[in-house]
Amino acid sequence: MTAVLVIEDDDRIRLALLLALEEEGYTAYGAATAEEGLRRQRENRADNVLVDLMLPGLDGFECIRQMRRDDDVPIVVVSARDDTHDIVAALEAGADDYLVKPVAIKELSARLRALRRRGRTLVAPVPAQVFGDLEISPDAGEVRRAGQRVAVTRTEFRLLCELAEHAGRVLSRQQLLQRVWGYDTGDERLVDVHVGRLRQKIEADPANPRHLVTLRGLGYKLQR
Amino acid sequence: MTRLGLRARVTAAFAVGASLLAASMALFSYDLTRRSLLDERERAAVRVAYFDAAVVRTGLDTDAPDVVEVLRSLDTGSIRRPLLHFNGRWYGRSADIGASSIPGELQQLVRSGEAGVQRVRLDGQPTLLVGVPLSATTSYYELTSLREVEQTFQVMALTLTAVGIMVAGAGAALGWYATRHSLRPLTAVADVAERIAAGDFTTRLDPATDPDLNRLSTSFNHMVDQLVRRIERDRRFAADVSHELRSPLQTLAAAADVLTRRRGHHDERTATAAGLVADEVARFQRLVDDLMQLARTERPAQRESVDVAALAGEACRNRCLPEDLVSIPPGTPSRWLVDRRRVAQILLNLLDNAVRYGGGPVAVHLRVRDGTGVIEVDDEGPGVPAQDREIIFDRFVRGRAAHARADTNGTGLGLALVAQHAAAHGGRASVTDRPRGGARFRVELPGSLP
Repeated sequence: MTAVLVIEDDDRIRLALLLALEEEGYTAYGAATAEEGLRRQRENRADNVLVDLMLPGLDGFECIRQMRRDDDVPIVVVSARDDTHDIVAALEAGADDYLVKPVAIKELSARLRALRRRGRTLVAPVPAQVFGDLEISPDAGEVRRAGQRVAVTRTEFRLLCELAEHAGRVLSRQQLLQRVWGYDTGDERLVDVHVGRLRQKIEADPANPRHLVTLRGLGYKLQR
Repeated sequence: MTRLGLRARVTAAFAVGASLLAASMALFSYDLTRRSLLDERERAAVRVAYFDAAVVRTGLDTDAPDVVEVLRSLDTGSIRRPLLHFNGRWYGRSADIGASSIPGELQQLVRSGEAGVQRVRLDGQPTLLVGVPLSATTSYYELTSLREVEQTFQVMALTLTAVGIMVAGAGAALGWYATRHSLRPLTAVADVAERIAAGDFTTRLDPATDPDLNRLSTSFNHMVDQLVRRIERDRRFAADVSHELRSPLQTLAAAADVLTRRRGHHDERTATAAGLVADEVARFQRLVDDLMQLARTERPAQRESVDVAALAGEACRNRCLPEDLVSIPPGTPSRWLVDRRRVAQILLNLLDNAVRYGGGPVAVHLRVRDGTGVIEVDDEGPGVPAQDREIIFDRFVRGRAAHARADTNGTGLGLALVAQHAAAHGGRASVTDRPRGGARFRVELPGSLP
C-alpha cells in the first residue's frame, strides 16, 4: 500500500485529508508540525508527502528543503496561498508539484500517482545516453556527471529522461507538463523551476547551460 | 448635434474674430476709397462738362448753327457722350441716347436754369450725368461712363475680400497654434489617463513647472494614487476572503469525498443529504476558484506564442466534447500572442456556458482579422435576448434558462471572467445570434498577431 504523510497544522483539514486518502486506498498518517513531519519521514519513510506552507515553527519551505537533503520522495505542496512568489519559492526548495486549496481528492490522487511513476513511460529497456560529460541511465535510474553520481529527485530524473528521449529536439513546456506531471493544462512555472533545479545539478555553469538549453518561446532541449 | 471640441471652438472664435476685424477694416477702407474716387471723378466730369458746354454755346451762337457738327467737334473721347436739347429737339452723336436717357427731375432742374449732376445706371452701365443750362431753350448734357471706376472698385473689393479670408485663416491658424500650446497639459492628462485605464498603474503626470498647471497635475496624481490604493484594497479583500474560505473548504471537500465514497453504507435519507453536501461543496469550490481568478484578472495579460487551435482542442477534450468542433480557416496562423491561461479559461468557460444553457456547443471558430484573434463558440440553444446581451457578462448574472431549468451548477462568474480575460488583452466579449439559430459567443483578442 502506498503511504502518504500529511504535514498540516490545521487539525480539521489534516483529519479530513487523512480520512479521504484512506478512503482512496492510501495508508495515510499526519504530522501537525514540520519537525514532527521530518522525524516521521526519517523513521518511517512514506511514498508521498503533502506539505502545507504555513506551519508553526519551521515553515513549509524549510521543511521541504530539509527533507530534500537526503530524500527524493515526491513532495506536493497543498497550500491556500497562490502567489507566484510562494509557488516558485516552494518549487525551488524542492517540491515536485504545487496544488492550491481546496483540492479535490480525485485530483490530489491523480497528482500523487503521476509523481510516483518512475520511468514507466519507457517501455523497452533504454541504453544509457551520453551528453558530453553527462551520462543518463534510465534503467538504472542514475545520472552521472564526469563519472560522479548526481543526486536528482524522481521528478527531475523523469524530466531529464523525457528530454534525453527526444535529444536534440525541442519539447514545449506543455508537452513536458503532460509527460512528466500528467497535466492536460498546467502551470508552466512547474517546468521552469524544475529545469532550473536540474541545471544546478547537471551543468558546469548553470547560468550558461550547455546541455539543457532554453529555446525562447518554444521550450527546452537537451543537447550534446 | 455633436458639440465641437474646445480646440475647434477656440480656433473658430479666433477665425470669426479675425474675419470680423478684417471685414470691418475692408468695408471702411472700401467705402472711403470709393467715395473719394467718385467725388474726384465727379469733379473732373463737371469741369469737363462745363468746358464742353462753353464750346457748344460758342458753336451755337450763329444764325444757322449746325448742331450735329458742333457736337462732333467736341473732343470727348469714348467715355463721354454729349447730348443737346436745343429748341425742343434732342441731338446726340449716336441714336441710342436721347431724352429717355436723362431722368425727368434732372431735365426740369436744368431747364429751370441750374446745373445738375446725377449718377444713374444706363443700359447696365454706371454713368454720370452732368446737365448744364445754356439758355432758356437749350440744355447741354454730358454722359460720362463710370465703367472703369466701377472696375477699379471691383478689383479693390476682390482684393479686400481675399485679404479678409487670409486674415481669417491666419486667425484660425493662430488659434490652433495657441490652443495646441495651452491644451498640451490636457493632452498629457489624456495620455496618462489612457495608460492608466489600460492597466499601467505606475504612470503619473510630471509635476508641471507652470504654477497654473501644477494644481492640475498634483490633484490628478493624487486621484490616481487614491484610485490605485482602492483597487488594490478591493483586490486584496477579494483575495483575502477567498483565501480564508479555502482552508475550511479543503476540509469540506475531503470530508464530502469520504461521504460520497461511503454512499452505499448509508440509509437513503443520509445518502441524499451527503449527496447534497458533496454537490454544494463542489459548487462552492468552483465559486471560490472563479472569485480568485476574478481578483487576479486585473493584472495585465502575459502574452506568449500559443497554439490556440491545439488549446481549443484540449479544452474540448477536457470537457469530453469532440475535438473536431474546432475549425480554423486554412492559411490562418494558429499560433497567437496571447495569455495561455486566460485563453484556456475563456475556451473552457464558453464551452461550459454552451453546455449549460445552449444545449452544448456545435462549433468553435478561430479566425484572425487585422491581427485580432477571434474565438467564436456557437450553440443551438434558445439564444440570448437582445436586452440581456450586455448584462450577461456581468458578475452573478445567469441566463433565464438557468432559472427555468433550475440549473444551479454555474457560479454566475464564468462569462464575467471571459469578459475580463478579453479586456486584459484589450479586447471584448460579445454575444449575437447564430445564423442558423442559437447563440454565438465571440471573444476578440487584439494584438494576437505581431
